[in-house]
Amino acid sequence: MPYLELKGIRKTFGNAAVLNGVDLAIREGELVTLLGPSGCGKSTLLRVIAGLTDPDEGSVFLGDRNIVALPPRQREVGMVFQSYALFPNLTVGENVEYGLKMRGAGKEERRRRRDDLLALVDLEEKRDAYPQHLSGGQQQRVALARSLAVQPKVLLLDEPLSALDAKIRKNLRMQIRDIQKRIGMTTVFVTHDQEEALTVSDRICVMNGGSIVQEGSPEEIYAKPRTEFVARFMGSYNVLSRMEAARLFGDGIGTAESYALRPESAKLLPAGDADSGKGEKAGGRIVDARIEAVSVLGNVLRYSVSAAGVPLTIDRLNDGHPLREGTSGAVRLALDPSQLLQLEKEGA
Amino acid sequence: MTKPKAGWTHKTFMLLLMVYLLLPLAATFLYGFAKQWQTTVLPEGWTLEWVREMFRDARFLDALWTSLYLCAISVALSLAVMLPAVFVITVYLPKWETFMKGLVVLPYAVPGVVAAVGLIRAYSSGPLDLSGTAYLLIGAYFVVILPYMYQGIRNSLITVSAVELLNSAELLGASRSRAFLTVILPNIWPGVIISTLLSFSVLFGEFVLTNMLVGGHLQTIQVYLYRRVGESGHLASAIAITYFLFILLLSTALMKLGKKMNGVAGR
Amino acid sequence: MKRRNRWMLLGLIPFAIMVFAFQVAPILSMVSSSVHDPKGAGFTFGHYDKIFQSAYYLKAIKNSLLISVFSSLIGIAAGLLCAYSITRFTPKIRDRLLMLSNMTSNFAGVPLAFAYIILLGNNGVFTLLFRQWGWDVFAGFDLYSWSGLVLVYVYFQVPLALLLLYPSFYGIRDQWREAASLLGAGRWQFWRTVGLPMLTPAIFGTLGILFANAMGAYATAYALVGGNYNLLAIRIGSLVAGDVVNQPELGSALAVLLALSTLLAVYLNHRMSKRSQRFTASYASVPARKRERIRLKSRGTRTAEEAGA
Repeated sequence: MPYLELKGIRKTFGNAAVLNGVDLAIREGELVTLLGPSGCGKSTLLRVIAGLTDPDEGSVFLGDRNIVALPPRQREVGMVFQSYALFPNLTVGENVEYGLKMRGAGKEERRRRRDDLLALVDLEEKRDAYPQHLSGGQQQRVALARSLAVQPKVLLLDEPLSALDAKIRKNLRMQIRDIQKRIGMTTVFVTHDQEEALTVSDRICVMNGGSIVQEGSPEEIYAKPRTEFVARFMGSYNVLSRMEAARLFGDGIGTAESYALRPESAKLLPAGDADSGKGEKAGGRIVDARIEAVSVLGNVLRYSVSAAGVPLTIDRLNDGHPLREGTSGAVRLALDPSQLLQLEKEGA
Repeated sequence: MTKPKAGWTHKTFMLLLMVYLLLPLAATFLYGFAKQWQTTVLPEGWTLEWVREMFRDARFLDALWTSLYLCAISVALSLAVMLPAVFVITVYLPKWETFMKGLVVLPYAVPGVVAAVGLIRAYSSGPLDLSGTAYLLIGAYFVVILPYMYQGIRNSLITVSAVELLNSAELLGASRSRAFLTVILPNIWPGVIISTLLSFSVLFGEFVLTNMLVGGHLQTIQVYLYRRVGESGHLASAIAITYFLFILLLSTALMKLGKKMNGVAGR
Repeated sequence: MKRRNRWMLLGLIPFAIMVFAFQVAPILSMVSSSVHDPKGAGFTFGHYDKIFQSAYYLKAIKNSLLISVFSSLIGIAAGLLCAYSITRFTPKIRDRLLMLSNMTSNFAGVPLAFAYIILLGNNGVFTLLFRQWGWDVFAGFDLYSWSGLVLVYVYFQVPLALLLLYPSFYGIRDQWREAASLLGAGRWQFWRTVGLPMLTPAIFGTLGILFANAMGAYATAYALVGGNYNLLAIRIGSLVAGDVVNQPELGSALAVLLALSTLLAVYLNHRMSKRSQRFTASYASVPARKRERIRLKSRGTRTAEEAGA
């Protein structure tokens, strides 16, 4: 039985429909990410789970209890906000103890839990400091500790890393994932960063315009986007029209209106490669191509390539020998038709 | 917990506040039109004779005129002095800001009575005998409205990002003063007007300095009102109401301008 | 400062003259007068001695202090509740209410005193009403006494408190309320543990302003009780510009004492607003972060971030 289940959640703000009858089922101990662009409704959905926003229709089941009518205090749900929301007049330790204090826990128990959690997030020495004196990453860890102190049934994270620097973000998201796995906390994570979603999640729900457009494991979402929206959102997919796909792959590509091709699934072969057979797979196609531009992204080289009149993005691992633009003669592109994905229409 | 809107408790509370604040006004209003109101809960009759008498009283018109011209002169003088000064401090001497912040609380730190004492002592004898003159009062008024003018002008300058405007103008070849006149002044004008009107209404209601410094010779509307309170309550009410209506008009003009300015600044 | 900028200082000259002539000089004059010996040429603290040995003047000081303290406390309690209420309304309604509140403050002074005489004087509307209804508990109330003055003072203290306090409520972020709520705090619990403590500096600061405001109030009291009630501000007025007695030095000394109390109150306000900033100078304030990073980098130490957050 799903641990947390949302059924038919609808919410309208004024004239805009923010959530269009969303259904979501989450198993115990899972980390599910709601991924999507701004305005897709992911934060609103999170707030519905927390009870900070009331849906117009729908129910929220935690275990077998419908909690949709309960105030936030009674839901046993924890939440970490993008802006940390630490209470500035209390020390780090007092912040962490806050929930326990509200529930009437005794001093001994409060102290114990506080110390446990501060150890968990590795901030014991900051116990008596005030939040304003901590860095962003540290404050977010305190916020996490504070939410976990009351042992909620579900933990909600609303873009917790968006306010932090890139380097901190990477470190912190792994720490959060470690802690989550260690204590087996059912978690819903909201973000607009697809790399973040791919790294930490057990399951990803891609949202757009108030609905979930695709659900699945990170591998599935990345390798098999169902619609053009998901393909574009998940990275540097090449999205091709039917005509373009036909030009590259010939006929027999199926009946879809649009197609997606991952940038790393085609190989660039220098022109006049004596062993041209090497790059060719059974059933593969070789087309002539021209390199328009090269970008060095660090460990990946991103080529803007034109093949059969179709502009493509092709990625290659950086082996220290980038191919140059407009190399004398053209280069050739080895395509694998099995890598061409058919996309469904939106709303399917 | 969608943002809690005002429930009935809050609405009632605000209503109570409004009633509490408006009650004295209402009472004065009624008194000004009441024929007799000595021993009954509500007035015994209505009449316009007090209003008529008020307008016929030469001293009333005199006082009104005195108030108007004294306040107008003070405000104009303040404007002429404060505009360049605040501009210079805000733009070129930001370090002085902390000191200037002290100015904002001046009316509370040095209340009217205290200022009056100092002014009387300083200018009551010798070469600087200004006692009882309008000059002294205008000088005193200048200090009274100093905080309002300072804050108003300063806020306007900040809202329009005066420093950036100035830099752009200078890069385009304008001299300092030209930049000020052609770029800064037109943009801060609405905000300046607001502080001018505010200062005007503050001065219009000023009593302690006026009474102590020039009360004998010059009568502003407040001083005149005070004299009449003792003599005839009904007449005094009529005067108070007139005075208040005038301020009301001024404040409405202020509000309208405030809205317009927010539209202009576009923030 | 750059040489060209020196010209700009000219713009400050008229301002400096006016401030000196009408703000600084009078204060100096007042202080010197308070220690001036009218008989000889020397300086003396005799006037202060006189004040502190005179039951009469001590009473005036005491009365003023009492009325100021009480009207401030009542004003701030009411103002706090009103400020909380007012932030629940839409900005449009809130602004209208504030406008109303500010407008009525123009009524303060002589008109206010008179209005209260109409309402609560010996033949006042409510006085008669209460008598009619047999509400004897108010029968002992005298508008022209200490309690009457406090009541009238509260009328202009509340709007001032409201104006000064309501912005602070916007500093109480929604997310704190939400976080507290998820952690199990009820409305009142939140205010007790987080909300009010955050507001405390603003409350004390405003208290200072209210106190100074009441101590310095003259017009209202003058119009209400004239010389019949012993208030510091009124005593000063009568000593310096009065019709009967004219003892300017004594008046100056009293004025200095009054100014000391108001200055102290305002200083309290200043310290408190600094305290407030401690809370609101918030985390995500980038400049602070940058500053710290630069500072630490220049010392060759790693910042907290680089150490791996």
